[in-house]
Amino acid sequence: MPVSDDQLRTWMAEGLAGNAASHAALLRAVAPVLRAFYRRRFGHEDAIEDLVQETLIAVHTRRISYDPSRPLSPWLFAIARYKMVDHFRRSRSTVPLEDAEHVASDAETEQDIHARLDIDQLLATLPPKQASLIRAMHLEGHSVADVARSRGIGESAAKVSAHRGIKALALRMRQSGP
Amino acid sequence: MNTDALIDRLASDVKTVPRHAAARQLVLSLAGGALVTLVLVVLVLALRPDLGQAVRGFAFWMKAIYTGALGVAATLAVARLARPEPMRLAALWPVALPVLVVAVIAAVQMAQASPDSWRALWLGSTWKVCPVNVLLLSLPILAVLLAWLRRLAPTRLAAAGALAGIAAGAWAATLYGLHCPEFSALFVVTWYSLGILLGGVVGALLGPRVLRW
Repeated sequence: MPVSDDQLRTWMAEGLAGNAASHAALLRAVAPVLRAFYRRRFGHEDAIEDLVQETLIAVHTRRISYDPSRPLSPWLFAIARYKMVDHFRRSRSTVPLEDAEHVASDAETEQDIHARLDIDQLLATLPPKQASLIRAMHLEGHSVADVARSRGIGESAAKVSAHRGIKALALRMRQSGP
Repeated sequence: MNTDALIDRLASDVKTVPRHAAARQLVLSLAGGALVTLVLVVLVLALRPDLGQAVRGFAFWMKAIYTGALGVAATLAVARLARPEPMRLAALWPVALPVLVVAVIAAVQMAQASPDSWRALWLGSTWKVCPVNVLLLSLPILAVLLAWLRRLAPTRLAAAGALAGIAAGAWAATLYGLHCPEFSALFVVTWYSLGILLGGVVGALLGPRVLRW
């Protein structure tokens, strides 16, 4: 359930004001983002969940270090990265070369995650059926025939519907663009 | 514990964090540490006897503005380093600006004086104790700054410690000016700066040890 940075900031602001439900919503929303962040860099699942939990605890106990006038994700990923480096240091393991490259390309990874958040946000503005068609055909790369068959609709109907959806998105992006 | 249970437990303990809480705690901590240092200056070292006259002169304010500006710049840097977002350390260069200004004043004073007097301008009468005094006086302030940083989320621990040490040294040197009789910019840029730098070294060594989280 990816959410926008603005939504995360709102929850954080409400949590800082003492709203426990918003704080829980924030932690629940960032947990899968952190899981994805660490999964790209680690093989072993148990280490990933440990890191996710440690990072959630840090997000909780060090909220005072977040400046509400700034975006939340850079703050979140900085904590995640620090916890990861700390994990390597404690386990005295060295970062294998391929992983080191991942660490170096953090910025890119974060952009990927941001981009995915953006896409999910955009798709959420379409009717669910149309969004799931676009997701299946254009993001997950299934063929038109497969998608149409699995949904029990004609191939041309699937194609037209997805095409309309993308045009609607393009229009919306042009309108909200800089 | 699974992650959902952890989130529930964390969310059962949500305290209010007022806006600008971190900044307010930083200022209060600094004030507390500076008060201890001020008491040490007054009780252990004693105020300079000619203080009333000195505050009407250039040298007193040159020292106070130099160390005060350095204190402000280094404290702002500490506040930035307390947040986890990555930053280029090159962005800290404004901290060096006050040193450059006093170095220029020192050069002007040297140009106006005869070369025979340069040695006196440089060493004054207290050069042996000045850096050590500044360093010792900085320790209470360094302690409160590190304690504050421990509650935040610094990710460059040595840099955060170093800037905390420089900030502590600069504020300590400002208060030390109430005791110190020296008047030449060359003395200040050398020995004050050395004491402040020693504070930075102590902070840089302590940072990775005490600031981990």
